[in-house]
Amino acid sequence: MDALLDFARGPLFRFSFAILVLGLLRILILDIWGIIEALRKTDDKKIPWKLVSIRTLEWFVPVRKVFSNRPIYSSLSILFHVGLLLVPIFLYAHISLWKGTVGFGWPALPKLWADILTLLAIGTALALFTGRIISKTSSFLSRKQDYLWPLILVIPFLTGFICANAGVSPVLYRICMLTHILSAEIIFVLIPFTKIAHCIIMPLSQLVATIAWKFPPETDEAVCTTLNKKGAPV
Amino acid sequence: MNRVQNTKLVLWLIAGFAAAVGITRFVFGLGVTTNLTDATPWGLWIGFDVMGGVALASGGFVLTAIVYIMKREKYHGLVRPAVLTAFLGYIAVVLGLLFDLGLPWNIWHMMIYWNPHSPLFEVGWCVMLYTTVLLLEFSPVPLESTSRYARVRTFLLKFRFPFVMLGIMLSTLHQSSLGSLFLIMPFKLHPLWYSNILPIHFFLSAIALGLMMVSLESLVSHWLYRRKAATHLVAGLGKAAVWVLSVYLVVKLLDIAISGKFGLIFDGSWESFLFIAELLISIIIPLLIFAVPKSRNSLAGQGIGSFMVVFGLVFNRINVGGLTMLRATGDVYIPSWTEFAISAGVVSTAALVFLFAVEKFNIWEKRPIDPQTLPDTMPSFDRASEVWLGVPAVAARTKYSLAFILSLSIGFAIMPGSKIQSQGVAEVTAQKARGGDVLFIDGNRDGYGVMFKHTDHTKRLENAQSCVKCHHMNKPLDQQSGCYECHRDMYSSSDVFNHDWHSDYSGSNIACGQCHSAGEERRAESAKKCDACHTDLIPEGTLIEVKSNMASSYTDAMHSMCLDCHTQKAPEVAERINLTLCTTCHEAAPPDYLKSEVGESLRGPYFNHVVIPGLPERTEGD
Amino acid sequence: MSKAILTDITKCIGCLECVKVCKNTYGLEYDVPRTWQKNDGLSAQNWTAVLQKPGKKYIRKQCRHCLEPACVTVCPVGALHKTAEGAVMYDSDKCLGCRYCMMACPYGIPRYDWDKPVPYIRKCIMCYPKIKNGEQPACTAACPTEATIFGERDALIAEAHKRIKETPGKYIDKVWGEHEIGGTSVLYLSDIDLGFLSYQPHLGNTPLPNRTEPAMKAVPIAFAGMGGLMYGLNWIIRRRMDKQGKKENEE
Repeated sequence: MDALLDFARGPLFRFSFAILVLGLLRILILDIWGIIEALRKTDDKKIPWKLVSIRTLEWFVPVRKVFSNRPIYSSLSILFHVGLLLVPIFLYAHISLWKGTVGFGWPALPKLWADILTLLAIGTALALFTGRIISKTSSFLSRKQDYLWPLILVIPFLTGFICANAGVSPVLYRICMLTHILSAEIIFVLIPFTKIAHCIIMPLSQLVATIAWKFPPETDEAVCTTLNKKGAPV
Repeated sequence: MNRVQNTKLVLWLIAGFAAAVGITRFVFGLGVTTNLTDATPWGLWIGFDVMGGVALASGGFVLTAIVYIMKREKYHGLVRPAVLTAFLGYIAVVLGLLFDLGLPWNIWHMMIYWNPHSPLFEVGWCVMLYTTVLLLEFSPVPLESTSRYARVRTFLLKFRFPFVMLGIMLSTLHQSSLGSLFLIMPFKLHPLWYSNILPIHFFLSAIALGLMMVSLESLVSHWLYRRKAATHLVAGLGKAAVWVLSVYLVVKLLDIAISGKFGLIFDGSWESFLFIAELLISIIIPLLIFAVPKSRNSLAGQGIGSFMVVFGLVFNRINVGGLTMLRATGDVYIPSWTEFAISAGVVSTAALVFLFAVEKFNIWEKRPIDPQTLPDTMPSFDRASEVWLGVPAVAARTKYSLAFILSLSIGFAIMPGSKIQSQGVAEVTAQKARGGDVLFIDGNRDGYGVMFKHTDHTKRLENAQSCVKCHHMNKPLDQQSGCYECHRDMYSSSDVFNHDWHSDYSGSNIACGQCHSAGEERRAESAKKCDACHTDLIPEGTLIEVKSNMASSYTDAMHSMCLDCHTQKAPEVAERINLTLCTTCHEAAPPDYLKSEVGESLRGPYFNHVVIPGLPERTEGD
Repeated sequence: MSKAILTDITKCIGCLECVKVCKNTYGLEYDVPRTWQKNDGLSAQNWTAVLQKPGKKYIRKQCRHCLEPACVTVCPVGALHKTAEGAVMYDSDKCLGCRYCMMACPYGIPRYDWDKPVPYIRKCIMCYPKIKNGEQPACTAACPTEATIFGERDALIAEAHKRIKETPGKYIDKVWGEHEIGGTSVLYLSDIDLGFLSYQPHLGNTPLPNRTEPAMKAVPIAFAGMGGLMYGLNWIIRRRMDKQGKKENEE
């Protein structure tokens, strides 16, 4: 078990973290590349930059959503995201691990705040999960991974919380720690390849949507070709 | 055309590993990413990337000489790929060098700080100039795709002959000067490879290598794009190579015979076998293959022959560049996988650029067309992520980038060296302990324990966040930090002074305050010295001045008195052997009065009975 | 003017005072030897070391400060230079880290900061700042038995020969570094063979730079010669082709 923990903390962590960073970077580059290529093909090169940037900003700061549609769901979601992002990045224990490798750290959250945010993240994740099951509209739109993700995300938070707070026996502690590390690593690896990649894709989505409406000439033919229905009546 | 795509995929994978190593190399230094030592400061990166790379790029000057100087128009079709290979080869050399140099950001210093005596200075300048010349020689090719730069292109083409001349002259210099680099190491390089005319060896072999590299590259790229191989051209080059190789062989063997080293070839050492193998692979077997018309004109013969020359002569560069020095230096150097990754990665990147150029510009008479980039093929899907990959051009991009990041991440994961693992939290210096819940810690189970005040530690280590400073977060395997990790100046097992014994109930049983004065940090420096209590144990007129109770070295064990004893008490050389023994001054067994008090539990050094020569002997009961 | 250090092996008692004072003078850190490396005492943090040989022989190893140093010759940017005082100095601002000096040194002296992202060449500098001020190097000052002494090179050679003559049979009749590869500024007097200090036991008296000099002198000749050869070849071939073309036209 100790060897496994060591492996999970060393090589496996380096692998998954590299996949996370590089994978997101790759998506970003490929997207921008695609946008540029698409832009080059269109005739109308005017883009409503102002509107696009306002929409993107709104996505980043989703305060208006809370007051407009589905206030409970929106506020839960915001809280969930706050916990999800802040705790792993600003936890003292994580920062000191980084300090040991790269030589520099950053200010940490106080322990109490970290605990509250962790519990908040766990609670909101479970609430969102139940919400998805209960609500008919959302369960109709949901895929399997939509149900799975809140549950997967809860695992590292729960185990991390146990490790940091509860005085458990050494064996249990190790199991908890291993689960914590491994689940976080699985999440890291999955992020660039699943819907969690929205953290990178979403800011661009407004732009993509805008450009997507500017069909290049002969698009219809290309669509037919790609669908293998060349010559068929539209 | 899957052949091209698969090849590219593999090349991207290798490039990914190289990128991981490259990043690690620049962040953590050469020590983590190479097996180089002080005795072997040049390794694979110099032997293969730089020496081999320059030699491999010699096709450019050889072929331009054949076509533009000797006017053999038959080979005109091979000039563009050869010049491109040479250009990319030199870029790859510079790239490889940037990884190998300790301070790569200073590489431009060669332009402002001159040392014309140095062969490396000359090589550096020639490489710089020749790379520029190659760029100017090659740039008309990409420029022909746009009419905007037509004037620049015609201007450049006007100077083609001077460029070719300059290229040949510069190549002559630095191909041979790579050999001159090793003239200064007659004591390290094995005599079979060392020669006063090493530059000539290098130049001759570079010509042969250039011919064969162009051949091999033509054969491989034709195979890759499924075109008919230009066997008649390669046969012509092979014929030329026969002449060059024969001259090289004669020069090499004559040189060895004249300097009387012929016997070394057959002396049975591993170097002699290496030499014979190198000679067979790089010269003799290809010479036979290309001398016989039948094998010279066959595709298999050409492929094997040219590969052997290329492999054998690059091998020669590695042998000269360090492999055959190992006997003299007595060092063991086996390149780590990270070094191989960089070498392979640099080559892969160059190959990718080559393939890109071949598909985009008119390198060959006919540009190869990838049927999968045609618009009317089906789009593909990435099953795993349910992402539409778009038309194949985009799909290829997606696949290559995925391969790249995958191998990069794996590369990071398997990176050797403890430096890149987290070192844990920062060291915290502990201060005086005060009350609270007390743990009895006996780490090594020797019966001597320490009273560990837990609350006191937590308070001092920033209260709420203190736990992780000792527990499970800062070390693998959930171990707590050992006391010594913070208390660096605590007594240790190498002490002359046995702290446990002094404080323990079975020993002297003295309280802390009896040695460490109150209000001060309890450390060795601030404690009372031994002679404060043991007044009777140190004889009068002693040389010992008790400074420290550590004995972490021989000097400490001798009370740091090397010079005192040697210069004052026993300046005679004949007597100094005895001085190194403890028993010269001390009696080996503890005196009886100590034995009777503490009995069997007594441990450690108890050389209390001092009989220093020339001093009055201390008697019992003094 | 040229200063030197003379080390008498028979006088050394192996007390390591020179090593200690050297470390203290330059603030050298603890040595972390690379486990796979053959340890010969010197390292980036150890500019001088005392080797022990059977029979209680202690040999101090340090940079030899050759009179015609190979390292100075080969450095492409001139980061190493031989001062008039005799020390071979290193200028870390110029260095680009090619490590050619390490390759060229027949004694294997220069060491490298392998574990640092910004590595430099490290070696003994004969306490150049001190000898410039007229002091002697830290190591010779610290030596308790005067086994290693500092002075004018000529005077030290004379002293060495005097010692050999005065006590016949005590020393091997050779001053190591007097003529070896053109002479060095660190001399040894010994009763055992010191061949192990260099990569080969006998280095000969030819200075190492002399070995690359002919090749470097031939550079301009090779450059111009190759140019002339190629141009001449081209001229001949063109002329022949012209003639052939004319002939074909006439026919």
